[in-house]
Amino acid sequence: MALEVETRQADNGVTVVAPTGRLDVAGAPALKEAISEAAKKVGPHRVVIDMEGVSFVDSTGLGSVIAALKQLRSSQGDLRLAAPNQQARVVLELTTLDQVFPYYATVEEALTGF
Amino acid sequence: MGSDRKTFEFHATFSELDEGLDMMHLSIQRLRKAVGRGDDDGPLLLFETALGEIGGNVLTHGNPPGVERPIEYELRFDGEVVVALLSDSGLPAHEHLSRDMPDHESESGRGLAMARSLLDELGYERDGDVNRWRLVKRL
Repeated sequence: MALEVETRQADNGVTVVAPTGRLDVAGAPALKEAISEAAKKVGPHRVVIDMEGVSFVDSTGLGSVIAALKQLRSSQGDLRLAAPNQQARVVLELTTLDQVFPYYATVEEALTGF
Repeated sequence: MGSDRKTFEFHATFSELDEGLDMMHLSIQRLRKAVGRGDDDGPLLLFETALGEIGGNVLTHGNPPGVERPIEYELRFDGEVVVALLSDSGLPAHEHLSRDMPDHESESGRGLAMARSLLDELGYERDGDVNRWRLVKRL
């Protein structure tokens, strides 16, 4: 099941990247590419990854989010995660990456004050 | 008096990454349905997460070019304990087994540490030129 990724601009200029499917070893390259493309188009910026459509996350998928965070922060941008499901939250907490990625219950919450 | 324990078995062979991942997640979905567990069942969710890690590694590294042997996969549930068995023809994996969780900056290297934390038992043996993995969790 290939990961599909949609990208849109929110009213406050934040890019919202919305993957659908499994963010795993097969799907991670699609997310990396989508965030790289978005970064090229609008320069240093803030990104919210809308996880609502992500059914499963593995360590490689998480690696693609870390890569995106590093890329954005190196150009004074930043990243937030929105609406991770129970499995994704387990993975974030197990790896203690919940200390690195602030995550929010909804995209709207993630966009507020970002 | 007969036992009312619900048991389950699933077998598959595969060689392609997408096919193998789909098959493993499908097997967990069928197990959930067969034994009446919901999508939010905690122990099964943890087991599926570990299976995704080991299965992803096996599918990525266990099918080197020139090797025709497919990856073999088996899932069993005896009413209390779920066991997944995977065998592949990749390079020996001993040196990776005890890897610790890397720091927050690292983009890779978490899979085996995660699987060890999530399972009751993660078994590995090199049998000739085959890697055999055994994932065990009490549900």
